[in-house]
Amino acid sequence: MTTDIIPSLLQKFSRLNWGIFFLILLISAIGWGLLISAAGGDIHLWALKQIIRFSVGVLIMLFIALIDLRWWLHFSYLFYGLSLALLCGVEFLGFIGKGAERWIDLYVIQLQPSELMKIALVMALARYFHSQSFPLPFHKLFVPFLLIFIPMILVLRQPDLGTAMILLMVGGTLFFLAGVSLWVFGATLVGIGASIPLLWSFLHEYQRDRIFMFFDPSKDSLGKGYHIIQSKIALGSGGLWGKGYMQGTQASLNFLPEKQTDFIFTLLCEEWGFMGGIFLLFLYVFLMVMCFRIILTTQNDFGRFVAAGMTISFFFYIFINVAMVMGLVPVVGIPLPLVSYGGTAMLTLLMGFGFLLNVGLHRNLKIPCLSMGFF
Amino acid sequence: MFEKESTQFLRRILFLGILQLMLLILLVGRMSYLQIFEGSYYHLLAEGNRIATRPLLPLRGQIYDRRGVPLAHNETSFRVVLLTDKKDEIEETLEILSGLITLLPEEKEETLKMVRKKRGLDSIIIKDNLTWNEVSAIELHAGDLPGISIEVGSVRKYPELIRGAHLLGYVASPSEKEQEKDPLLSIPGLQIGKVGLEKYFDSRLRGIPGHSAFEVNAKRKVVRELHQIASIAGEDIHLTIDGQLQSYTQDLLSLHESASAVVIDIHNGDILALVSSPSFNPNLFPQGISHKDWHELRDNPYVPLTNKAVSGLFPPGSTVKLFVVLAALQSGLIDKESTVYCPGYVYVGTHKFHCWRKEGHGTVNVSRALSESCDVFFYEIAKKAGVERLAALYHDVGLGEGGLESFPYSKKGLVPDRTWKKNIKNAKWTVSDTIQMSIGQGYMLTTPLELAVAISRLAGGGKRLIPRLEGQGPLSFPDMGYDGKHVEMIRDIMNNTCNTPEGTAFRWRIPIAGMEMGGKTGTSQVRRITMEQRKAGQTKTTHLPWKYREHGFFVGYAPVHAPRYAIAVIVEHAGGAGPAVQAARNILLKAQFLEREHTR
Repeated sequence: MTTDIIPSLLQKFSRLNWGIFFLILLISAIGWGLLISAAGGDIHLWALKQIIRFSVGVLIMLFIALIDLRWWLHFSYLFYGLSLALLCGVEFLGFIGKGAERWIDLYVIQLQPSELMKIALVMALARYFHSQSFPLPFHKLFVPFLLIFIPMILVLRQPDLGTAMILLMVGGTLFFLAGVSLWVFGATLVGIGASIPLLWSFLHEYQRDRIFMFFDPSKDSLGKGYHIIQSKIALGSGGLWGKGYMQGTQASLNFLPEKQTDFIFTLLCEEWGFMGGIFLLFLYVFLMVMCFRIILTTQNDFGRFVAAGMTISFFFYIFINVAMVMGLVPVVGIPLPLVSYGGTAMLTLLMGFGFLLNVGLHRNLKIPCLSMGFF
Repeated sequence: MFEKESTQFLRRILFLGILQLMLLILLVGRMSYLQIFEGSYYHLLAEGNRIATRPLLPLRGQIYDRRGVPLAHNETSFRVVLLTDKKDEIEETLEILSGLITLLPEEKEETLKMVRKKRGLDSIIIKDNLTWNEVSAIELHAGDLPGISIEVGSVRKYPELIRGAHLLGYVASPSEKEQEKDPLLSIPGLQIGKVGLEKYFDSRLRGIPGHSAFEVNAKRKVVRELHQIASIAGEDIHLTIDGQLQSYTQDLLSLHESASAVVIDIHNGDILALVSSPSFNPNLFPQGISHKDWHELRDNPYVPLTNKAVSGLFPPGSTVKLFVVLAALQSGLIDKESTVYCPGYVYVGTHKFHCWRKEGHGTVNVSRALSESCDVFFYEIAKKAGVERLAALYHDVGLGEGGLESFPYSKKGLVPDRTWKKNIKNAKWTVSDTIQMSIGQGYMLTTPLELAVAISRLAGGGKRLIPRLEGQGPLSFPDMGYDGKHVEMIRDIMNNTCNTPEGTAFRWRIPIAGMEMGGKTGTSQVRRITMEQRKAGQTKTTHLPWKYREHGFFVGYAPVHAPRYAIAVIVEHAGGAGPAVQAARNILLKAQFLEREHTR
């Protein structure tokens, strides 16, 4: 009986959801191709580094996937505490990086604690909801609220609007899934609306500019609205079939900014057209359908919440990034998952998928909901 | 724990899944809107981003005289230009450059200002019209001068300088107003004809600009040249003008304060010379005239910038008596033998009109009346003929008709009649108006070109000659329907005017057999002679200040027995016809000598 529920390591490895794995590989490989094009045919500039990071990330993902889910349940608060400490380290101990205070240089890799926090928050909330009995009384929402609110404020101060939004939205979604009644959400929305003027004063000048610019990009076409306008031109000019691989004029002549990171979806759409964009979105949908299958078949609350949290945050990445390059939402620094160039984002995502695969392996496991302390 | 919460969780996660799917469909919708519905629009924008063009100026057509001598041509000029896509080390570059060529501090300042203003592809002219030494010095140090290059351009030159300035006009950069009207004119460096023939033939001379297209990157640096469409040079124009006669005439007229002359070939209407004096140097204009020069030209009392041959309006004086006689003969009011007694004056109502000779001419016939220019004779026949007949004939021979349609700033003279006076002056036509009209005074105005056309038609035997500036070969003009005997009679009288001792032009006749000229003198008052002056014997105006003296005219032709060259000359405020006759004599002689020279 136990062997059925908790397989051995080798069995686990063979039972891994390889469909998800191959989809991740396929999407990443598309990203590498785009990075080569973005570098004008140079594989060394970005693509090779990205492949190496991906390889490391996949090892970490498999490592996470194969460990017993209950371990992660036990360690989740510790993981959250550690991430929070690192965030504070960035904020208060002054590991000041370039421009935004987002980085901690660990000599081996540069680490963005805010990225780690995206995972840690999901874990911590999952554990909290796992240990509760439903429906949740209202006063029990206070602790998870703090779990979201504290890191969000720290991230906002860095300042990283995009990550703060993801934290808020993922946390909110988990609240929703935990069965929090809808009028609480309604009340929160009203509260947020009322506090917008207050939040506005917290925003940095460039963040305000980005929001202004979102509403009228043409006002300052050579200044701050330039990114969005050029992105729309590049994307629109791709047409149905695109200009051809490495033939994107907007990208290769540098009209398109940040083409290897935040605006890589535009590069795809310029060179491969509407069909290229649809193809990638289809792969994403396919991947998420597989994630939803895990969520729906998992028997334990912790696993369900972890899987749901990871899937939802993955979706937010996709939606915000694609909507942003098409001028539907303001420009916030959100990469296109698995495709954009960049180390920590990829690492975070692969770690997230590690947990998803883990939940998938342990979906039949039943974990008692009683609290076990911090370990 | 489960069942109830589990179904709630399932409901909510399914709700989220559907919500996500809808959001993704929204993205696909936006994507198809941008890429498929607006794809071609964004494609255009992307091409606009990528492609920059640099215009290629066409070479302006040249203007030649009837013998192929250039009157307006293009000279190669060398200029240093700076391509602004290499503007990083511009200050050092200018420093090095000023060691090689003379570069004023203001010029440097101007260049720096332009560099700050312009982006990307545009090139900035640092200095124009380099000497050979400067060009070679720059070429030698090309390695130290990033972004600097020598460009070959062309500058419009008028080798005849002031001889023909009015006729040829000049080119200059189009004004902002002109650029608004025709955006093609905003091409930097393009020049257009401003006045004269440069303007008259501008559309043919200008040519068609080409361009070269470049692919540029986001910093507007050139990546590669895509294609080039060469410019098409403008058409060359071959004029009927005789450059030698034109410059001879110009030199001759420059002896007077202000004068104008037009010479026409009677055989085919070729305008051989069209001169207005004083003149100006058209070479001042193509590169931008200085304020000082401009003000000097503008404020000169002898209006050197006006082409008086086509836009100067003068009362033509006694020259029109030729046409009064023609009108009278044609309508049968007089014949060869008709006489009038001239006591030196005539009364019209209470007003006394004077003949120019105070003591009168006695009994005069047509021939004497014309060659001695007896005013009273014309007062009498004008009264009989009436304004309608006179005006019709004046118009018929070309007075008040302009002559060169759409020549820049050209004007039409004024032949008054009853309706004109009623409409403009709001007054009734009177006999004294008719009388004044018969001696080319009063309201009447003509241009020298109109007079030249009229005399050409008469001297050519009554053929409807059309003056031309372009074209070759003989032309035959239609007959105007005048009685050949009448025309012949008037030509005889013109012969007498010049070649009989009583004639008003006898003193300045051409004494060479076969080259004699015929013609008619004229003077026109610009100010009425008062009774007091007349009593004091002051009918001459030579003692008056220049601008109150009467104009001197001569219309004529040569040779008198085989008319070939027709001429109209006005010497403004000459105080008499003499200077005009003298100039016409010399010009007609020169024309005949030139003909002999070139046919030999």
